[in-house]
Amino acid sequence: MMVNPSTMWTCHWARRHVHRYLDADPSLPLTTREIRRLQAHLATCARCATTAEDFRRLREALADWSQRRAPDPALVQRMHATVRDLVADDAR
Amino acid sequence: MEPEIEMLLRVARTLTGSWPDAEDLVQDTLVRAYRGIGGFDGAHPRAWLLTILRNTNANSRRRRRPDLLDGDGELDRRRPAFGAAVAPSPERIVTDRVLGQELQRAVDALDDRFRVVLLLIDVDDLTYREVAEVLGIPVGTVLSRLSRARERIRLQLRTHPQSGRSS
Repeated sequence: MMVNPSTMWTCHWARRHVHRYLDADPSLPLTTREIRRLQAHLATCARCATTAEDFRRLREALADWSQRRAPDPALVQRMHATVRDLVADDAR
Repeated sequence: MEPEIEMLLRVARTLTGSWPDAEDLVQDTLVRAYRGIGGFDGAHPRAWLLTILRNTNANSRRRRRPDLLDGDGELDRRRPAFGAAVAPSPERIVTDRVLGQELQRAVDALDDRFRVVLLLIDVDDLTYREVAEVLGIPVGTVLSRLSRARERIRLQLRTHPQSGRSS
């Protein structure tokens, strides 16, 4: 089966941009045109759509770790106390 | 500084690999930040604090082992520090547990450079630019490492049919 070279190039381009698309990171956003291009590709390319869905699930699973890795409230309080002590020492 | 304390602790935990080391690192960071606050222009306090954290960590890194994650199972044993959400279904608990174990193994298997970037972004919720700041690397390198980390985990999870597709 012949694979269209332009489709391959679009898949390659999509793989390079899918993380920025999923993260919507404010420090490195995709342009509106890039978003539309990527969405159009994902709508027609099952392989890239599956990959993007895998990455989306992975992001969700790791986000769940965030709560389990939250610092102990007592530790947070000790750090706040450190700041208060610094301020108090400075005021003396 | 105070609104960013929890974020600093999370990042320090990822960088140092332990809460005691994270506490020391953040304490030193806060002291340095307070002493240097006169030279701070008031813009981008998170970036400013992350830069101080990076420099403080770099100064003390030689004294520590760069272990970046809990050992196997530690995450599963720990209880959430804050209130747990609505109770999940028994099926969801089983699925999450299997996926959690496979995911933990996949993350553990990553090279440190990739694992740190992945955790800082996907778990600690830093932006690409903040990760670049705290690690002292270009944003493009952050994105490249993130991409490789996620791809390696994706491929590893796909070799375990139970873990990736069941939820």
